Amino acid sequence: MKSDIPDNDRIKVRLFAILREMVGEREITITVPTGITVKRLNNEILKKYPQLKSFSNKFVTSVNCKVTAGDAIITSKDEIALLPPVSGG
Amino acid sequence: MPLLLPRMKSLFYHRSAGVESLISITNKHISLQDVMFELEDNSAGALSIFIGNVRNQGRSGNVSEIYYEAYSEMAEQKMREIENEAQTKWGIKKLVAFHRIGNIKVGETSIIIGVSSEHRHEAFEACKYIINNVKTRVPIWKKEISEESQKWANGILLE
Repeated sequence: MKSDIPDNDRIKVRLFAILREMVGEREITITVPTGITVKRLNNEILKKYPQLKSFSNKFVTSVNCKVTAGDAIITSKDEIALLPPVSGG
Repeated sequence: MPLLLPRMKSLFYHRSAGVESLISITNKHISLQDVMFELEDNSAGALSIFIGNVRNQGRSGNVSEIYYEAYSEMAEQKMREIENEAQTKWGIKKLVAFHRIGNIKVGETSIIIGVSSEHRHEAFEACKYIINNVKTRVPIWKKEISEESQKWANGILLE
């Protein structure tokens, strides 16, 4: 029998550079409904870590090492990372 | 006289589409000598090298050191992508790219790109293309550190 309670995924998200410093963690875990999009995940992250709100248009999200559009659907098996503007070299 | 052990070329060469490459993101010192050694190739008439050093001035003023951080898995993938593009455009023979991460003091080297090809034009162009793209497409970040402050450098948002 199907439960009325929606399934949830625990998504691990890696943080780098200024975002890592703002949160104080290299990796965070966000519990979200299964089948969530990148955009909704980012909204959930900003709700949980409001200190990142001023950076909301200053990072991109990578899924399995590829920068990914907001409408892409993610699962707990994906490797997610938030990437601020890069400055290597 | 000290006993000199024969140097061994790295076992970590990646071979694809006719180019041999060695890409490393490391927290150890990187040296031109190592890059030159890895690039050795009697069929290449040209070697082009770019060396990036930490300088004592940054966007926020005086700098005493820079802290580099990388998303290493993705950074290596992106560097391979750039390498493949350079290979397609210029048919290079070998690429060695070392990027150091962690705290690096003024005057020390943060990155070395070495490219070999048959002739100089290809080596020059490919080396320039690779360093320009590493700076804009690879997930590595730097924080400028001075006695007074620490500031993440403004950068470029990945696409």
